[in-house]
Amino acid sequence: MKILVTFKSVPDPYESAAPGGSPATAKSVINPFDEIAIEEALRIRERGEATEIVGLTIGPAAVEEQVRAAIAMGLDRAIRIDDSRALDPYAIARILRAVVAKEAPEVVLMGKQAVDDDSNQVGQMLAGLLGWPQATFISKIEFLQNQTRARCTRETDAGLEIIEIPFPAIVTTDLRLNEPRYVSLPGLMKARKKPIEVQSCDDLGLKVEPRTKVVATERPPKRSAGVRVETVEELVAKLKEEARVI
Amino acid sequence: MDFSWSEQQRELLDAVSRFGREQLNYDVIENDRNAVFNHEAWKKCGEFGIQGLLVPPEYGGLGQDPLTTVAALERLGYACKDNGLLFSINAHMWTAVIPLVFNGTETQKRKYLPGLCNGSLIGGNAMSEPNSGSDAFALATTATRQGDKYLLNGSKIFCTNGPIADLLVVFANVDKSRGQDGITAFVVEKGTPGFDPSHKIEKMGVRTSPMAEVFFENCEVPAENLLGKEGGGAFLFTRSMTWERGCILASAVGSMQRLLEKCIRYANERKQGGHSIGKYQLVATKLVDMKLRVESARHMLYHYGWLAGHRKAVYLEAAMTKLYLADAWVKCAEDAIQIHGGYGYMTEYEVERELRDAIGAKLYSGTSEIQRNIIASLIGL
Repeated sequence: MKILVTFKSVPDPYESAAPGGSPATAKSVINPFDEIAIEEALRIRERGEATEIVGLTIGPAAVEEQVRAAIAMGLDRAIRIDDSRALDPYAIARILRAVVAKEAPEVVLMGKQAVDDDSNQVGQMLAGLLGWPQATFISKIEFLQNQTRARCTRETDAGLEIIEIPFPAIVTTDLRLNEPRYVSLPGLMKARKKPIEVQSCDDLGLKVEPRTKVVATERPPKRSAGVRVETVEELVAKLKEEARVI
Repeated sequence: MDFSWSEQQRELLDAVSRFGREQLNYDVIENDRNAVFNHEAWKKCGEFGIQGLLVPPEYGGLGQDPLTTVAALERLGYACKDNGLLFSINAHMWTAVIPLVFNGTETQKRKYLPGLCNGSLIGGNAMSEPNSGSDAFALATTATRQGDKYLLNGSKIFCTNGPIADLLVVFANVDKSRGQDGITAFVVEKGTPGFDPSHKIEKMGVRTSPMAEVFFENCEVPAENLLGKEGGGAFLFTRSMTWERGCILASAVGSMQRLLEKCIRYANERKQGGHSIGKYQLVATKLVDMKLRVESARHMLYHYGWLAGHRKAVYLEAAMTKLYLADAWVKCAEDAIQIHGGYGYMTEYEVERELRDAIGAKLYSGTSEIQRNIIASLIGL
């Protein structure tokens, strides 16, 4: 059983939320949802239900710091697709499909979305491109029948949905699946000795062009202070006319 | 002298920041109130690699140089708000780990260092006595050789980590007629007959770091637990004390930086008389001075770290670093309370604890007066 786990480098949400911090100056970290995916892969291997975990990321050489952090967590191997462009979800899904074709994993584990662009599309698109079943937003996963299927608990707006999917499959992880382990300093130092396999879209025989362009990035508007209302009627009127939510 | 970090150093330091922020900041107020040591956090720090930063890899450490080590401890002090935990870690590193690294026999190193690095063992030392503090070498505890063991008799006070320690480096005199040349260091393990470290001492700050009064009554220590040479204790103590002075307040620099940022945030948010209080010059001046203090403290720390890593004599620099950082930390914490006004005095705001934690820095590892004496003697007075 081989698991491919994908991860993206994103600006540290903690730092960009700090006073004076901005996404442009913040250090990078592994996307928190992807970190949960890596952790789950490690736990599956620790239970003896997987034999190899291959990590995959797309980005320039600068993201190798996050690749090493992922290796330090416990990946067996790591691949970086060298590309510094701002790629849209479809372009990313196509690159992932090409790597899946080469690596032939039974399961692709990934975060449900990246916290920088919040697209939440790559897992679904990859499943569509491969024609594989998908379990998205999972908060629990159990392997069944000699690692040929999985029972997944999905967190949906309506409640918890439990589904079974046969492998090969795409699984995307939600926040409550697990709490990722921290990278230790000895782990980080050992990770430096493991090579990172670097490939390009050309190596994969792919021509990928971004189909969307980021025109500008702005901070959300500042929230103004609340107002105190005197009566229920006034509240209802404001919700109707000003907030337009009812 | 180069304080720009290599890629490896930066990665290590970032990992420390994140680890401290995410793994160590729980129950800090309650543990301070109840004087409870966070054992779990200690173990995590060991597994993460803090206690072994300086220890050679063959004994389970990371083999980092002193500059990287103090910078890592600074990051830990910034990220982790439990100053007592960090104080315990410091006592462990400078008074138990360092003497073993430099003076331990091969057998002693193999026996103790891996556990001291990975968080499974806790160390400390027992030096101060009720009647010998600043006059440390006047200690009254005796060690009498009897065949293949020594009998220790006496008592020690202010023993950091005493109640939780698996081993202590204990200083005793083998021959009082030799004065300071009779002082000898021993590794005393928990559970040794005649060794009683159970008398906890209540204190003002770093309350999450346990401290004990320790008694030795015909305490039988095997001769193989002699650390260094018989009569070599004073030299060993001075060496570990120099490391301690230079490094023990590394985490305080991080704590100061955290306080500075907290105060700037508060000075911008808090409005009085139609302005944020940071716009008032009396508040702004405090913050500017705090910034200067943090920056100069950091430079002294890194300068010490660099010198220690390049095998330069650092006795003077260690004393200056200790003296300046202790004063700067106390002043930072005091100003932080003043800037927060009445709120700063309240436990919930986590500023008053910093002042209580900081004040001990003027007392341990040699009082500020002793540091001044050392500096005075080294500049020719």
